[in-house]
Amino acid sequence: MRTGFALLLAALMLAGCGGEQGGAPAGGDSAAQDAAAPDAAAVGTGKAVDGPVKVAFVANNPSEFWQIAKAGTAQAAEELGCEVEFKIPADGSAQTQQQIVEDLIARGVSGIAISPCAPEHQTEMLNRAAAQVNLITQDSDAPQSDRACYIGTNNYEAGTAAGELLKEVLPEGGEIMLFVGSMDAQNARDRKKGIEEAIEGTDITIIDTRTDRGDRMQAIANVQDGLVANPGLDCLVGLWSYNGPAILNGVRDSGKLGDVSIVCFDEEDETLQGIKDGHIYGTIVQQPYEFGYQSVYLLTDLAKGDTSGVPEDQQIFIPVRTIKQHNVDEFISEMEQLLDQS
Amino acid sequence: MRKALGLSGFLLVLVGLTVGWEVAQTGSTRFATAANLRNLLTYVGLFGILSLGQAFVIITGGIDLSVGSLVCLLGILAAMLMDAGAGWSPWLVLPAMLALAALVGGYHGLLVTKLRIQPFVVTLCGLFLYRGVARLAASDSTQGFGTAYDGLKWFGRGTLYDLVRGEGPMLPGTSWETALDCVPAPFLIMLFLAVLVGAYLHWSPHGRHLFALGANEEGARFSGVRTDSLKVLAYVLCSLLCGAGGLLLAFKSNSLQPTMFGNLYELYAIAGAVLGGCSLRGGSGNVVGIVLGVAIIRILSNMVNILGIPSQVEYIVLGGAILVGVCIDELVGRQARSRARARV
Repeated sequence: MRTGFALLLAALMLAGCGGEQGGAPAGGDSAAQDAAAPDAAAVGTGKAVDGPVKVAFVANNPSEFWQIAKAGTAQAAEELGCEVEFKIPADGSAQTQQQIVEDLIARGVSGIAISPCAPEHQTEMLNRAAAQVNLITQDSDAPQSDRACYIGTNNYEAGTAAGELLKEVLPEGGEIMLFVGSMDAQNARDRKKGIEEAIEGTDITIIDTRTDRGDRMQAIANVQDGLVANPGLDCLVGLWSYNGPAILNGVRDSGKLGDVSIVCFDEEDETLQGIKDGHIYGTIVQQPYEFGYQSVYLLTDLAKGDTSGVPEDQQIFIPVRTIKQHNVDEFISEMEQLLDQS
Repeated sequence: MRKALGLSGFLLVLVGLTVGWEVAQTGSTRFATAANLRNLLTYVGLFGILSLGQAFVIITGGIDLSVGSLVCLLGILAAMLMDAGAGWSPWLVLPAMLALAALVGGYHGLLVTKLRIQPFVVTLCGLFLYRGVARLAASDSTQGFGTAYDGLKWFGRGTLYDLVRGEGPMLPGTSWETALDCVPAPFLIMLFLAVLVGAYLHWSPHGRHLFALGANEEGARFSGVRTDSLKVLAYVLCSLLCGAGGLLLAFKSNSLQPTMFGNLYELYAIAGAVLGGCSLRGGSGNVVGIVLGVAIIRILSNMVNILGIPSQVEYIVLGGAILVGVCIDELVGRQARSRARARV
């Protein structure tokens, strides 16, 4: 019994270490902690600092999306001559984010741009951080917290853009179905609302929304079942990034490629390939590169005490882009360049 | 046998209720169509293989919680090695993955038999370890086979119709073609494996020893059964089947996210085996029952989608139906036992 428990503990610790290694981009932790002492004084006296600025960017979970954001932070850091710590919570949990933020503050960063995993439950943590350093949110907002500003996509606008695509695909109207991991997430709700508003007054109707809890196998099954349950379906819409490839796979396995249209969000490889092949009509992409780039610029300004970059409504929206067959190649080579940089 | 009959009954009631409900609501059925049968059998095949593997360990009185993570690790590694960048041959990679799976199973078995660590703990550690390794190997980025290996992907998602289709239309035309389209490759593979597993469990002396060992380990050992090596073998077979199922799942999904792929699949595997009549106390289980158990679970999930029941309800339907099934089984079994006793 005791051996079993010890082994379990060891495994848990191993898992924890592995996770942290995956998240930390570079640099020894102990060295950074040693260097934290002089910076800590600056944190104590106020949020504005002199000398080289050190800021941090905290993602919400591991994915390629954040590699592109990282390229943006690196570019801005190079232009400004500042230092950026890029952190990814390996398990995508609020708990790990809190740990990361506490560590970053201890190490003396002057500002943090974070994509909160569970904004409504993290207010206290965010406020505590905002009291010590410049805090902005990016990608996902926490409007009820003391964050100085939000930089990210307006998902409602992204939904509207998808709605415009639907109107192009189905000028005569038709039946569409939405697929997403979970409707709890604010971005899913906003995207759906945007689509609904855009297709209002047309003959396009949303007949159902199926969720898959983030399980891609279930996402494919939902698509296959949806096609069986609704033979009159005209277009399938994937709200989260993996739903695009899942729809493509489900439609292909049902032998219905070419019979139904597909519209989706984000830029998974298979989605882009599907657009190239003409199986997917179009996708709405965000610009994570800009999230990273603009976050670092804003945090550097704030570190110097310059708040002119923060608009009155404390929200900076990065516009979405619509990728269709005519501009997909150009977009792919752009992405490859950015990923090479990071 | 009684169990298999009961499960068939449960399955028929479920199908009857679904079709009845559909017909009452819309006047026609989408559930009982060829396209839906094809989809259903594909998933019964994919998940059935995992449950068959799980059954070996459950029959010994153990449990394997590492299935989902092992599925993830093997799928991710296979995708990474066969990727255009690494460019290893599938002839090398796939056998290597199965060998790795067997190795993992062997190590589980040795820890359970030689170090006497509980199976729950050994495989719980596996659950963390293998997912961690998969994430580290892939640096948390999504892996897949891209547009390559269409032939291999057929094993995960194709049907017999694909073999005769040639350059013909995607959808079957004649009724003969439709019938072929209702036989998915993963389902055939699962049936083949089920026959092997059934022959081993129910017709070989090894199988009888495995049941004896699960029911009463001491007793089996004193009657000359080599319990330790038999147990290790059960873990090896479990992981091996898990590897085979995992690779097929990877071909079907083709988009493997290290943090999510295979998540909770160990629980589906256990649920299929338990609903199919495997007792977690060990010593009982039946291959026909397991296949039926898996089929029931997949039908429940499919039914939620076809009837347009909100996705959130899926787990309620799943948990509720399995619970009802297991309870009925227990009550009927008790009655049968008391009647048998009364006769004596």
